[in-house]
Amino acid sequence: MFDNLRRLFAALSPSSRADEEVRPDGGVVSEESARQPDSGSDPGPVGRVTEALNSRFGSDFTESSVFWLLPFLLMALFVYGAIIWNLLISLTDYRGFANAPDYSNLDFEMYARALGDPGFIDAAINTFVLLIGFTGVTLVVGLVLAILIDRGIRFENSFRTIYLLPMSLSFVVTAQFWLWMYNYNNGIVNSVIGVFGLGPVSWLGNQAVVLPAIIFALMWQFSGYAMVVYLAGLRAIPSEHYEAAKVDGASTMKMYWRVIIPQLKGATISAAVVLMVFAMKAFDFLYSLVGGYRPPNGADILATKMVREAYANLNWAYGSAIAIVLFAMALSVIGPYLVYEYRRDNL
Amino acid sequence: MATLELDSVTKVFQDGNDEIVAVDDVSASVDDGEFLVVVGPSGCGKSTMLRMIAGLESITSGTLSLADRVINDVKSQDRNIAMVFQSYALYPHMSVRENMSFGLEESTDIPDDEIQQMVSETGELLGISELLDRKPSELSGGQQQRVALGRAIVRDPEVFLMDEPLSNLDAKLRAQMRTELQRLQDDLGVTTIYVTHDQTEAMTMGDRIAILNDGRLQQISTPLECYHKPANKFVAGFLGEPSMNFFDVTLQDGVLRGDSFEYPISSDVQANLGDTTDLVLGIRPEDIELVESASGDHDFETVVDVIEPMGDENTVYLQFDPDAGEDAETLIASTDGFTRVPEGDEVIAQIPEDAIHIFDRATGDALHNRSLDDAETIDLE
Repeated sequence: MFDNLRRLFAALSPSSRADEEVRPDGGVVSEESARQPDSGSDPGPVGRVTEALNSRFGSDFTESSVFWLLPFLLMALFVYGAIIWNLLISLTDYRGFANAPDYSNLDFEMYARALGDPGFIDAAINTFVLLIGFTGVTLVVGLVLAILIDRGIRFENSFRTIYLLPMSLSFVVTAQFWLWMYNYNNGIVNSVIGVFGLGPVSWLGNQAVVLPAIIFALMWQFSGYAMVVYLAGLRAIPSEHYEAAKVDGASTMKMYWRVIIPQLKGATISAAVVLMVFAMKAFDFLYSLVGGYRPPNGADILATKMVREAYANLNWAYGSAIAIVLFAMALSVIGPYLVYEYRRDNL
Repeated sequence: MATLELDSVTKVFQDGNDEIVAVDDVSASVDDGEFLVVVGPSGCGKSTMLRMIAGLESITSGTLSLADRVINDVKSQDRNIAMVFQSYALYPHMSVRENMSFGLEESTDIPDDEIQQMVSETGELLGISELLDRKPSELSGGQQQRVALGRAIVRDPEVFLMDEPLSNLDAKLRAQMRTELQRLQDDLGVTTIYVTHDQTEAMTMGDRIAILNDGRLQQISTPLECYHKPANKFVAGFLGEPSMNFFDVTLQDGVLRGDSFEYPISSDVQANLGDTTDLVLGIRPEDIELVESASGDHDFETVVDVIEPMGDENTVYLQFDPDAGEDAETLIASTDGFTRVPEGDEVIAQIPEDAIHIFDRATGDALHNRSLDDAETIDLE
């Protein structure tokens, strides 16, 4: 198939490629000199375009396009096309059962409405708290677990599996059994704190504690992931660094604080980005917790708000505007990470 | 700065149900300001010994004392020692300055500005002042080595421990650093224990060398004494390149009988041997003379097998009996670089009696060492 394409390609750009030497392994030797148009022969319009593209994007740009162009176009249409379409919708006043949005009158009315909506402000703050609180707590717990396991405790492998296991569970499952554990009357959490004479606390009903309770549940699910990332980072640090720090007179705490943990910067950034993305996708967890778009009071986040506005209230344009805000937040997390990785030549 | 004393120090590692003795009953005393080189083949326990002194490995039995204080159970944080690692172990996230000040910050209460002062002075001493603000990854191997050294020196510890610190450098730089380290140690006068597998480092750097094999201390003495008066066959074979020639011989009527030759010995030498008759004859390659014609009992006809020209000298592989093929006993001789001996030629190898070593074949102990009458200028003590 590739051969046919190449023949077709050769036919389209007659002069410059016809004399190329075909290697026995089927590849084509494209010498720099071979692409210089000979004086007197016309490269043709396609040839000129290929020439320009190749000199801009690298010598095999057009030739390799057979492999990447189709997936690239599909991705562009269904991901980035959809985002742009969503942005357009957010600029209209589309709502209710109208057949199609009216694109003739675009303005930022929906964004203004969002800023004036206390529900939106609350959801944005909750999203932010969840993002920071969940990521921070999970990283700290993961780091402590990783350090303990790295110090060669017994049953190391079993502990690693036990901690990592919750991550393999679906949000739907974990939400359901945290719902049971947080149950006001007979949940295990209230039973346990009842032993110490505390509670019972309405974990999911009390606006003040519902968000920390949800952060705790999510932390339980993802600290194993942070632990594995940190464990890999710890294993990459040569044991001489621990020994050098000890001989230098540092106590165990100081050794970790000043020598080991600073070397885990890369692991921290990778884990933090993944955890933040999970935090923004906490929609699944909240949806499963209550079985609907309306999470407990005090735990509404932008993702639930967006879906509720769009599909429950049919405020299509308003939902789109919230989606764009959420998208911008995600981008502000991923963007710096990509720049960081690019600077370190990892991309 | 203090005397370090090892008394019957033993280290046993548990590997499942097996016990692996890494260091076996080593006793040694390192004087204040002394430079002791510990040398031995890979896996002889020399690094384990160093790590025990550093407090990074526990001591199974025996006592380790520093300045008359037993430090078996003192944590390495509190031992006031500094160690230079083979891999340097510089903290990659800290600048050179931070690397060097870390130890002082952690182990002393010296105020920050004084620490910075000390770091700058050490930097000048080692010629790394302009590197102080760089990260280790921006330094060459030789510069990293200097920083690792500076990190130890700035601490002004009671003992320096060095674990093959020069083995990651190229040959030229290694020779240069060897001299510099010696000069530094002389100036600072800090008790130093230096582990290496490189016998050139062992011979040239130390005040004394300790030779370890299989966790056991073979000999601890000055480099020249170890070289000329080895305590046993292992030491004799380990020091010197190319190494000493060994031949299994049996003593009969004042004659050492080997597979390919007979070597008569004088009554003086014989007196050292006692009743032992199963012996090993040893002779250093540089003591063998190649002569024109056989003139005595200690001259042997040989055939040149291979010549390795080194420039300043040639290493010549001689065969006693070329007809024996693979099994032929080979004698290695060093001659100066200008002597030309074509391969395949017959030459006479002279083995002077005053240069031979004789070892007990069963125990390996040296029974007779070369005489040093012609080397009065060498100070062995």
